[in-house]
Amino acid sequence: MWRGNEMNQAMGINWIGLYTMVRREASRMARIPVQAFIAPWISALLFIFIFGSVVGGRISQIGGHRYLEFVLPGVLMLNIVNAAFIQASTAIYFSRFIKFVEELLVAPLSYVEMILGSLSVVVLRATVTGIGILLMGIGFGATHIESWPMFLFWIVSVSTVFGLLGLIVGLWSKSFEQLNMPVVFLLTPLSMVGGVFNTIEMLPAKLQWLAYANPFFYFINGIRGAMIGFDEAPQGLGIGLTLGLLVVLGVTAWRLYAKGYGLRE
Amino acid sequence: MTPALSISHLRKTYRSGTVAVEDISLTIPEGEFFGFLGPNGAGKSTTIHCITGVAEPTSGKIEIFGIDAVKNYREARRLVGLCPQEFNVDPFANARQIVDWMGGYFGMKASQRKERTDYLMERFDLIPHQKKQFRELSGGLKRRVVLARALVNDPKLIILDEPTAGVDVELRRVLWRYLTEINRDGRTILLTSHYLEEVERLCRHIAIVSKGRVVREGTKDEIAGSTGGLENAYLIATGAEPDHVAGQ
Repeated sequence: MWRGNEMNQAMGINWIGLYTMVRREASRMARIPVQAFIAPWISALLFIFIFGSVVGGRISQIGGHRYLEFVLPGVLMLNIVNAAFIQASTAIYFSRFIKFVEELLVAPLSYVEMILGSLSVVVLRATVTGIGILLMGIGFGATHIESWPMFLFWIVSVSTVFGLLGLIVGLWSKSFEQLNMPVVFLLTPLSMVGGVFNTIEMLPAKLQWLAYANPFFYFINGIRGAMIGFDEAPQGLGIGLTLGLLVVLGVTAWRLYAKGYGLRE
Repeated sequence: MTPALSISHLRKTYRSGTVAVEDISLTIPEGEFFGFLGPNGAGKSTTIHCITGVAEPTSGKIEIFGIDAVKNYREARRLVGLCPQEFNVDPFANARQIVDWMGGYFGMKASQRKERTDYLMERFDLIPHQKKQFRELSGGLKRRVVLARALVNDPKLIILDEPTAGVDVELRRVLWRYLTEINRDGRTILLTSHYLEEVERLCRHIAIVSKGRVVREGTKDEIAGSTGGLENAYLIATGAEPDHVAGQ
């Protein structure tokens, strides 16, 4: 029979605890397949139809690529950002709201493990979402992959960035209204003007700096480079920005967990 | 011998400024069955939250089997099982998942979790209900699940915050038998309850708290014997009037 006091686990990483967090969140995700996967896939399918058949034929090629080929990486990135943010923010907010976050607080899990557990599921959801859209794109002859390592880098790093942002917002929010604010006022506007549908050249000269100042531009530029080999800014700049955001948001999230902000009374 | 729980000058002030625990000091030896009594708002649950990591103490020291519960929280938490007053459970998870996941958080391997979960499901008559979502269960069954969850890691220190509130007589007796049995096996139990009969039946040592302070502490016999019963002792200690006085 199991005896808790006989447990002789080294106080390193609680791998089983971490894996349990992933199992638990994966089970929650499995309860909402339409919201988690079907909705972004249908949305991407509609983009493929509109930009491939309806609008795409009337727009000239961009950098030697059909308009649909140009747009699809941006659409994929939008869905990754949404999936990552929503997964992280709703999971932590819901667990605070119902109070079952206390299960984690009373368990021998470090703050880093709690964050890593949440992020693992974020990356899983974003990757499944992204790969689904990619397969649809390939199926319709609308895209291909120039560099798999860079494609995976962008999916994992950007989903982690927005997973961390989601965790911070989920800890800060005191209502569902607050939880949705960043999506409405930050993520959607910035992503729409981040070069999903147009190149920087297409913007009026006076507004081009706005695109360069928008982090979404570098995420979209990065994944577009990995998918179709077309980019408008040095990849290194986007990689540096993404890694910088990972550090800043990672440290912020860790500090909030360690202080018990939004978690402990 | 290292006590199972040692609390020294615990104070907890919430962000709102409310002082929930003024100054509580307690020592509970290993193997004790300890009753922690007090009226609503006396600071019992807040003290328990500070012990288990649900709340951050403002000041004071808490040690679980000699391990600092704040500085070395991971080691300390391995030794504790908490059955909270409120149902802090994912309502869409089923009873078995809830117990199994908690075992996972405590680092138990799959085979150990299965063995322990099977045992607890059987012990608390949950087998017919183990695949039902928590929200579908009756109040008594919910309480059983939360109890099973608290015991999954077979903790050395078991903290039960009003575990029999709202449950039927049958479960109450099942629980009493089980708690007596594991206490006899050496487990230390800290129990809060508003049912003084329950405390009188189970606990050997009692502390009464009021307004965030321990106002009376001693063995059950000392406390109950001095004032003609535990209820009178409780009412006097908390500043209420005992029956024989109120009735005059």
